[in-house]
Amino acid sequence: MSNSFIDEPMTEAYVYETTQIIDTLEQLMISSESVGIFSEENINAIFRFMHTIKGSSAMMMFNDISTLAHRMEDVFFVLRENEQVKYDFTLLVDVILESIDFFKIELMKIKEGERPDGDNTDILAKVSVYLESIKGCSTNNEKAVAKQTEKQNKVNQTVKETGVSTKYFKANLRFKKDADMENIRSFSVIHNMNELVEEVYYKPSDVMENDEASEEIRKNGFWIICKIKEEEERLKNYLKNTIFLDSLEFNEIESEEYKQLTTKFQDKISTENEWNKNKNSLKEKAKQIEKKAKHEVTMSSSQSIISVNVEKLDSLMDMVGELVIAEAMVTQNPEILSLELESFEKASRQLHKITGEMQDLVMAIRMVPLSTTFMKMHRIVRDMNRKLGKNVALDVLGEETEVDKNIIEKIADPLMHIIRNCVDHGIESEDERKLAGKDTQGTVVLEAKNSGSDVLIIVRDDGKGLNKRELYNKAASQGLLNRPFEDMSDREINNLILKAGFSTKEEVTEFSGRGVGMDVVSKNIESIGGNVIVESEYGFGTTIILKIPLTLAIIEGMNIKVGEARFTLPIVAIKESFRAKEMDIIKDTEGQEMIMVRGLCYPIIRLSEFYKIPTQVNTYDEGILIMVEENERSCCIFADELLGQQQVVVKTLPDFIKRYKQIKGLGGCTLLGDGSISLILSIGEFDLSSVKEKYNNKEVKP
Amino acid sequence: MNEELNNVLDVMEEDTQKGKFLTFSLGNEYYGIDIMYVTEIVGIQPITVVPELPDFIRGIINLRGKIIPVMDARLKFKKNPKEYNDRTCIIVVDVLDLSIGIIVDAVAEVLNISEDNIVPPPNLNSGGRKYIKSVAKSNDNVTLILDCEKLLNENELDELMIANE
Amino acid sequence: MKKLMIVDDASFMRISIKKMLESKNYEIVAEAGNGAEAVEMYKLHNPDIVTMDITMPVMSGIEALREIKKINSNAKVVMVSAMGQEVLIKEAIISGATSFIVKPFQSEKLLEVLEGLTK
Repeated sequence: MSNSFIDEPMTEAYVYETTQIIDTLEQLMISSESVGIFSEENINAIFRFMHTIKGSSAMMMFNDISTLAHRMEDVFFVLRENEQVKYDFTLLVDVILESIDFFKIELMKIKEGERPDGDNTDILAKVSVYLESIKGCSTNNEKAVAKQTEKQNKVNQTVKETGVSTKYFKANLRFKKDADMENIRSFSVIHNMNELVEEVYYKPSDVMENDEASEEIRKNGFWIICKIKEEEERLKNYLKNTIFLDSLEFNEIESEEYKQLTTKFQDKISTENEWNKNKNSLKEKAKQIEKKAKHEVTMSSSQSIISVNVEKLDSLMDMVGELVIAEAMVTQNPEILSLELESFEKASRQLHKITGEMQDLVMAIRMVPLSTTFMKMHRIVRDMNRKLGKNVALDVLGEETEVDKNIIEKIADPLMHIIRNCVDHGIESEDERKLAGKDTQGTVVLEAKNSGSDVLIIVRDDGKGLNKRELYNKAASQGLLNRPFEDMSDREINNLILKAGFSTKEEVTEFSGRGVGMDVVSKNIESIGGNVIVESEYGFGTTIILKIPLTLAIIEGMNIKVGEARFTLPIVAIKESFRAKEMDIIKDTEGQEMIMVRGLCYPIIRLSEFYKIPTQVNTYDEGILIMVEENERSCCIFADELLGQQQVVVKTLPDFIKRYKQIKGLGGCTLLGDGSISLILSIGEFDLSSVKEKYNNKEVKP
Repeated sequence: MNEELNNVLDVMEEDTQKGKFLTFSLGNEYYGIDIMYVTEIVGIQPITVVPELPDFIRGIINLRGKIIPVMDARLKFKKNPKEYNDRTCIIVVDVLDLSIGIIVDAVAEVLNISEDNIVPPPNLNSGGRKYIKSVAKSNDNVTLILDCEKLLNENELDELMIANE
Repeated sequence: MKKLMIVDDASFMRISIKKMLESKNYEIVAEAGNGAEAVEMYKLHNPDIVTMDITMPVMSGIEALREIKKINSNAKVVMVSAMGQEVLIKEAIISGATSFIVKPFQSEKLLEVLEGLTK
């Protein structure tokens, strides 16, 4: 079987929607867990989510996903139908979360273009066991009653006045192989033929209440005998047009045979009243189901929102970036500049305004709230509480803060790592907390807020905090330091936990091996132009602040020139620029040039030497020094000249080059107004020096 | 000339690209690239040098807003450099999701080469020869067919060689 | 060209059905994400055929079916259902659904049902 209509956009739509449902489901689990019970609405919502996943996955022929969702749907069907049923809430949440994990892994495979080949046997068995356990509790007497009812199939006995000749017919309907639910299709045939016949009997007679009747219909076909007063053509046509009909036998019979057959069919026949009763009870049941479904949480079905591939947004942004450059090329064209063109001026101002707004808009489109990422942290804290036997609450603040889509993707992992560290190592055990006079429940606060062109993501715990002396000794024993303890600022010592190979914990737990990951966290954050700040008060907790740019895409830059090459420095990193005199320059024993500014000593990096660029500007009075700083560490960059300040659209270097070599100090590139390329410098990658008053320490690199 | 070839590229559907090669020259030698890799041919452009890269990667160019690295085929094949002129071309190829421009002396034509005329290369692993996938004969000319994937992906090996030098 | 309205809360299903009917003789005149929307859209677009999911928020497919039947007693509505929904389908048929289709289905099956309606 192959579904020829499935193509890439379909798969994308499937993955997108299913992922959304699963995320919502997971959040629902976490929030319900804190209450300790599923509300009626939640049960309905979960039922519907599972129903949707089942249907969509079946359409995509992802059977393991579909069957698992189906089984979960069954569980919630029972819960929905029987409010009294007693169920193990905690176990159910565990089973659902485990199912969610299964779905997630499979979806990831689908997203990557692989087959979802995961085996659902284990989890399916768990769900089945659970289903049985609650089924046992529920007294599903409706079914029992339905089974007991006398079965009958006479539908319409309103014998009309005779006068027209009466005819009798026998019909056998066979459905196509994959018609599905043949019993209901048969039921539908009978239901709609009322007006065509005087009297009708059919076999199997229990199509209404017995879903297994389908089996018999598949084997023997659906038999109908009826009495009619008019021409048989209408009836025959009606039967012939049955949807999914494979073959139809339609024969006139004698009244004798008809009578015989009715008695044959009779042993299973119910009275018309019974039929109506059945009908009514069905109606009742369906109504109940519907009524319940009514209160459900609405899922976003609004068509005013569309999902767009990020690649399209990326290229839209590229185009807008191009437009901005093209605009500059037109309006600042040297051939026009010399002319006095009033209306041209006016028009180009208008153009500038529009392109500016467009740029803002494109940026805004790419912004997404951090809430989804933050919500995932609840699950992590929950699982860790479970496994480590800790009692930690997670408070989330400012999750509506928005950042660029690309950034969101890059911070999820680091954030997860930090949260794990907090719960695992930061927060003490309940006993320890009691001894320290703290609330037994530890708290981790996850907060996001805007701060200028940055977003701050703050993870604060009220755990034991960092012991600075211990940190220092540890680092010193690993040979990471050669400075006395007193010389180092608190921040410098705290930041030691971000160093590679640095670990304060001997044992590595399932969730985190501190030190193994924090340097990776810090690297990841730096790779998106952000940085990590660690604050801690021993005994009272640790705060880790991720300072990340709102967007990777546009920065305010200063363009500089070195020989033929052009570089762009992020304005935020520049402290000042100045011309120096040759006599201000000091050289240390290794020939490293340095300059004293207001009593502080800064190392100098000559870009022309650093990147081996030929230039005519070699003496300090010809060129310019730019003092840059990141994370309280600075240096002075020596360039030929400043070209001017400009908002630039950041582009990454081509993959080919990145794959070839990680070039120190280059963070990307951008296009200048004249179409030429400028390389963006990433200040943090240069050998900066922490400049402290009184001391001119140069930190030793690990 | 470039425009004509670009038009040819535009018109060609995937299935008609089979057996077609874009040929170019380096000095007296003729090379061919499977047309399915080629996305565009442009004249020589201003190149921005990127530091710390081997000399055959000349830098990056701005191709209508797309930043593309350019590789000098002469230098890659360890031939003597030649000054660029108005015949110099950049052949933009897309190989395994990587875009790169290859700087050549001049592009020649699009050639139909039937499989019968293609033979494996002589087994010599030096200079540019290791990037030759096969050798084709047509109209008394010998065209060296490039292995584009090797050309772009043998960098780690190159780097090792540089490090050992 | 028959005018068709697709009602489903899952956009994936709406896309699937649209895809299946691409370049077939059906024009998708409206889509709705729940029963209430469906009733409104029905009034606006008066489609020849409606494909109607059963389990939907706000207003279920069966309720929407009844509303639509009130507007036009000859309305042709195909219920889109799944295994395990037998009771609801029966109810839908009693309420006037013209036919039904069971997920998962392929385009041939959908087309067969739709063509069956127009006979």
